Amino acid sequence: MTLTHLSWATHLSWAPLRRVAVALTFGLAATWGIAPANADTLRVGMSGGYYPFTYVEQDELKGFEVDLMNAIGEITGDDIDFVTASFSGLAGMLDSGRIDTIANQITITPERQQKYLFSDPYVYDGAQVVVRKGNDDIQDVEDLKGKTVAVNLGSNYEQLLRELPYADEIDIKTYDSNIEQDVALGRADAFVMDRVSATQVIKDKPLPLQLAGQPFSRIENAYPFRDDEAGAALRDRINDALEQLRDSGKLSEISEKWFGTDITQP
Amino acid sequence: MHALDFDYMLGLVPILLGYLPLTLEMAAAGMACALILACLLAVIRVTRIPGLNAFALLFISFFRGTPLLVQLFLFYYGLPQILTFLIAINGITATILGLTLHFSAYMAESIRAAIVGIDRSQTEAALSIGMTRGQLMRRIVLPQATRVATPTLMNYFIDMIKSTSLAFTLGVTEMMGATQKEAAGSFLYFEAFLVVAVIYWVVVEALSWVQKWLENRLNRAYQR
Repeated sequence: MTLTHLSWATHLSWAPLRRVAVALTFGLAATWGIAPANADTLRVGMSGGYYPFTYVEQDELKGFEVDLMNAIGEITGDDIDFVTASFSGLAGMLDSGRIDTIANQITITPERQQKYLFSDPYVYDGAQVVVRKGNDDIQDVEDLKGKTVAVNLGSNYEQLLRELPYADEIDIKTYDSNIEQDVALGRADAFVMDRVSATQVIKDKPLPLQLAGQPFSRIENAYPFRDDEAGAALRDRINDALEQLRDSGKLSEISEKWFGTDITQP
Repeated sequence: MHALDFDYMLGLVPILLGYLPLTLEMAAAGMACALILACLLAVIRVTRIPGLNAFALLFISFFRGTPLLVQLFLFYYGLPQILTFLIAINGITATILGLTLHFSAYMAESIRAAIVGIDRSQTEAALSIGMTRGQLMRRIVLPQATRVATPTLMNYFIDMIKSTSLAFTLGVTEMMGATQKEAAGSFLYFEAFLVVAVIYWVVVEALSWVQKWLENRLNRAYQR
């Protein structure tokens, strides 16, 4: 029952009959008390679709978040079990106890702080407007008035846009994924994302995009945990590890590897 | 406009095929469970067992009347907040369960239609020569109803295979989830989604051959 989703494809034992039985008698199965995961296994949720923080290449999960979490695991001694799901499903997985935290550049916001415990921030960044290459009409956030702007569903960028005084003049479109592609295609005029990955996307990928002006809001990203005793203990453990990584220079090193610059300093 | 990256597409094929067994397994398990449940519901509807009939009507109404994605979210993320023991269900099982409940509602109606479609005179004839109700069902009604229902049930199975692509929202990396992540890494959307579309297509096409064979077999009694 506790199959790692990533290793599933290589695990070709043909168990559908058992699954039929499980699906039919799921109520019973639940009473057998299938243990969630050992305390020393940290289940970390991520979308796998946020280059270069978390993405997949040749069936291998990679990125800044993966490296950092593995470094944390080395210090705390936890086994890291990465669970990938659509971004919009991650919060639900955390709430329902299926994962222990999310490593997906989760920005600390007052609303989220009411619900979750947060680790210390490990990435300091800004919100960035990105447009199709050659579109020089949009130079900063104010120019978004009357435009169609793509953001990821459930991301804090949607919230940032809605809080602007002229929010009702912006046509905000929320997506589950692929916002870069829709701006490159010209369906949306701009998308809003963090400056770091926007810069990286433009540098590395074959999409006709450009940055529009300067970042417009400062953001701090951290790991969220459930607001209970176990969540608090886990947060403390991870904060200790983060501090060690910061002091040893390893945190900066991981950032330099992926971004060529240190995005982990305030 | 960039030229198609064929090397990338070729490299993607074996990777995505690695996720095909999981996709097919979820669909097959969902189909098996849905068939059983749909037959039960159809029999309840045809025989109008008091009480159960009302339940069957409500069940079919709900699972046909709400999107599959909503049902999956409701059971996987919503219910465990109220019934905490449900947390034991993993994403794969939840997907199979969701497919089962959703598609059994549709399938029950086409099975019911197939049963009701058998001419009443056959029932009367069978009963008049002393067959029991069970014999009537087994020997007369079900063989004919199976033949009538097969094409629509295969349609639902095909639909089910494609619906497994929703499992990624529950954290199950099946073929579509794997494609989305690969596309997010390479930004070669067209190539990635084209490859996965062709794989789905080939699988469904293969199933259509199975369907043709099955229909021919069930048709044997009607061929001269």
